Amino acid sequence: MLHHIAHRLLISIPVLIGVLFIGFLLMQVVPTDPATVLAGPTASAADVEAIREAMGLNEPVLLQFAMYLGRVLQGDLGRSLISNTEVLVELGNTVGPTMELMFASLIWAVPLGITFGTLAAVRRGLVSDRIIMAASVAGVSMPIFWFGLMLIQYVGFKWQLLPFQGRAGPLWTLEGLRHIALPAITLGGVFIGPVARMTRTSLLEVLGSDFVRTARAKGVSERTVVLTHALRNSLIPVITLIGLQIGFLLGGAVVTESMFAWPGVGRLAVGAIVSADYALSQGAILVLALSFILVNLIVDVLYAVLDPRVRAG
Amino acid sequence: MTEMQIERGPAAATEPDAAVAMARSSILRKLARDKGALLSAIILSVIVFCAVFAPILAPHDPYDNNLRNMLKPPVWVDGALPEHLLGTDGQGRDIITRLLYGTRTTLVMGLLAVLAGGLIGASLGLVAAYFRRLEGPIMRLVDILLSFPSILFGLAIAAVLGAGIFAITIALTIAAIPTIARITRGAALVQMQMEYITACRAIGMSDLRIIWRHLLPNCLSTIFVYLTLQLGQTILLGAALSFIGLGAQPPTAELGTMAAEGRNFLFFAPHVSTIPSLVIFLIVLAFNVLGDALRDVLDPRLRQ
Repeated sequence: MLHHIAHRLLISIPVLIGVLFIGFLLMQVVPTDPATVLAGPTASAADVEAIREAMGLNEPVLLQFAMYLGRVLQGDLGRSLISNTEVLVELGNTVGPTMELMFASLIWAVPLGITFGTLAAVRRGLVSDRIIMAASVAGVSMPIFWFGLMLIQYVGFKWQLLPFQGRAGPLWTLEGLRHIALPAITLGGVFIGPVARMTRTSLLEVLGSDFVRTARAKGVSERTVVLTHALRNSLIPVITLIGLQIGFLLGGAVVTESMFAWPGVGRLAVGAIVSADYALSQGAILVLALSFILVNLIVDVLYAVLDPRVRAG
Repeated sequence: MTEMQIERGPAAATEPDAAVAMARSSILRKLARDKGALLSAIILSVIVFCAVFAPILAPHDPYDNNLRNMLKPPVWVDGALPEHLLGTDGQGRDIITRLLYGTRTTLVMGLLAVLAGGLIGASLGLVAAYFRRLEGPIMRLVDILLSFPSILFGLAIAAVLGAGIFAITIALTIAAIPTIARITRGAALVQMQMEYITACRAIGMSDLRIIWRHLLPNCLSTIFVYLTLQLGQTILLGAALSFIGLGAQPPTAELGTMAAEGRNFLFFAPHVSTIPSLVIFLIVLAFNVLGDALRDVLDPRLRQ
């Protein structure tokens, strides 16, 4: 168990350094010169040069990377070129809302997906199975922004049921809940299809295994067979796959946040990139990548906790 | 959806030409029996035809704006103009025309990315399967690529190169590499167990020739299936990146960009945004249904 965790940790170190280095390199070849941007349009060449020197932009690349690593480790991600606030502060304000949004999406979409997947597997080949699977293919093919636009247009605007702009407060307040509803429905909505598909596949596999046949032979009711014996065992791969799909969810979150003016990391990243905010976009991408690595690590460990076979192997 | 409709059959592996031809026609027949796949193929043919012949089919110029005619509704709503069947956008440009050109941009972007990504991915997969010593490093790299959310590539590359079609196509290419690499490796590893590879080696054929003339052709059907499925995903991702403003820039006609431009008029002219979104939905759905069906017919073993 410990061995497994240590192994996963060790593997993620090179990935981590790779992400940092790529993030750093990407920003090196940035076509807009940050010193020029920071100095403003009226600055003289000498001013720009002074800023270049002050920012360390004249040092060799590897040294700059080392300096960069040192700064990142100290939590210094620089200042936003546009608002001049510290990147870490801006990011700190946005990580919470993004996590909140992902949580609010998963909390209803995963149980629903598992329910649909189980129904489809149990009724394999019947009309309900076909309908669920067709809906899940449609769900996978649906542009998330189309779904979101529809919700904004009807639920938000025409019927005036729910707000669709920004965040009003934490989840446990009524206004906070009302504001997160539409973004969470949008983001969760595109997640139901994949979860249903995975559950169905995994459950079908388990339903075909020997211990299920034994349980049936013993005369255990079909309900108990499916819900207690089979579903439990089929959820292990589903959990891993959900973990792997966190990246997919993150991508959806970037779009959803942009649409609903949700103050999260994704919206921050997009805004920073569009306005060529060097430090901020790098920081946002870094946070997205790092949190992604972290989630994968957690899922890996969780997998080992849930499945004794992984622990042994 | 199509998984139930097709019975499993042995995959056509290596047969003489006549048998291959027969297998091929039976593949087509099986596909044609699948109504969803048939419908998808027809829809895609029409869409591709429209995209290719956009300049001939389009009733207007995609950049010809007329502010006096802006935000005209489609024909099924009162107040529509007969010369603009699907209405006009915020600058009075004809939506049908922009849809035709926009589909073109979207499809070319997706196709280029999937072909380039497929080429790189397939090469990596073949090399990994053939030269076992390289397998570890290549597949580790592929796994890392695969584990990263594709949208991050889009964000990072757009951050460097600036938002635009070029940056997004590169991001889409990178996003397409790992899946194809894994699938190709899987298919190639099965072939590597076959005796014909041993035979090729025994007669002293060069590695490159074995890979190119024997290994690749036998993996092609699998690669092709996953390219189809990948195309749907790539188009969807490209449209999403364009929608958030990182892809094609206005005034370029591109479906995701068109949907984004329409957001400003969502409450009084929703068609500007929803029609292009629906076209994307349709294209991706058709690719996914067709890809699923192709996978079931060509490679039942890969179906999970």
